[in-house]
Amino acid sequence: MSEESGRGPSPEERRMWTTWVREHAVRALPPEKLLPDRQPSYVSSWIYVFGVATIAALVVVVVSGMILGLGGPSWWHTTSLGRFFNGIHLWGVELFFFAMVVHLWGKFFMGAWRGGRGRTWVTGAITFLVAIGAAFTGYLSQQNFDSQWIASEGKDGLNSVGVGAFFNVGNFGQMYTFHVILLPLAVTALVVWHVLLVRRHGVVPPYPAKVAAAKGSAATSSTEAAQ
Amino acid sequence: MARLDFAALFDLSHPAHYLHWHFFQMSVANVIVILLMIAVFIVAILAPFPKRERTP
Repeated sequence: MSEESGRGPSPEERRMWTTWVREHAVRALPPEKLLPDRQPSYVSSWIYVFGVATIAALVVVVVSGMILGLGGPSWWHTTSLGRFFNGIHLWGVELFFFAMVVHLWGKFFMGAWRGGRGRTWVTGAITFLVAIGAAFTGYLSQQNFDSQWIASEGKDGLNSVGVGAFFNVGNFGQMYTFHVILLPLAVTALVVWHVLLVRRHGVVPPYPAKVAAAKGSAATSSTEAAQ
Repeated sequence: MARLDFAALFDLSHPAHYLHWHFFQMSVANVIVILLMIAVFIVAILAPFPKRERTP
């Protein structure tokens, strides 16, 4: 490879899509930005912890979900170990949404879309909506009377908004596929994109304090008056 | 050998309790979760964050 020898890509290498992707990726996210060892001082607050708490809960949900998928419905309903992992999966989801909602409130009141962070905000909001779908299909995949009741109620809801032809909530195979493959992939991909955008644009700084801003403008105007 | 059963902390073998006030209707469990989230949100803003001493 020519870059290892100290020179840039040759014109032939420049035409390769791998070169284009590598150069754009390194330019957008250089290693020191991707894995920083320091954060701004304003990040030292508990309110900034809930994003990573959401990701930690997501890891627990995905791993416990994989174990449940290996065991199957009869295992998670009838064995003590299966019920244990079923409980871990449920409480992981509870914590996931709990942390995500506190994260959402925190970012809303910080105005986290400021400073060119619009896509970071939007990917987070879409992740929230897709995660609701993942949780809903999880309820439908329980294989018990609760899931049957939720399916019968959800069917009317989906029909009333005109998407009943695309999602048959009474079809366990379809809902289970959505729950264990499509929606987890979508949530994970959105979370990865969201985190990469945070790394690229940085954590949003707090709003400037009104007192400091007022003092600053007063000092500026008095300096201008003196000049 | 004695069998150790972990029963639910609360008896869940009955319909959920609901709060109903004019148009507002929500299960008590959901109200508790929302109040907990608000409490955690306030604590997260007000509670001091531990500082780590950095060696130069």
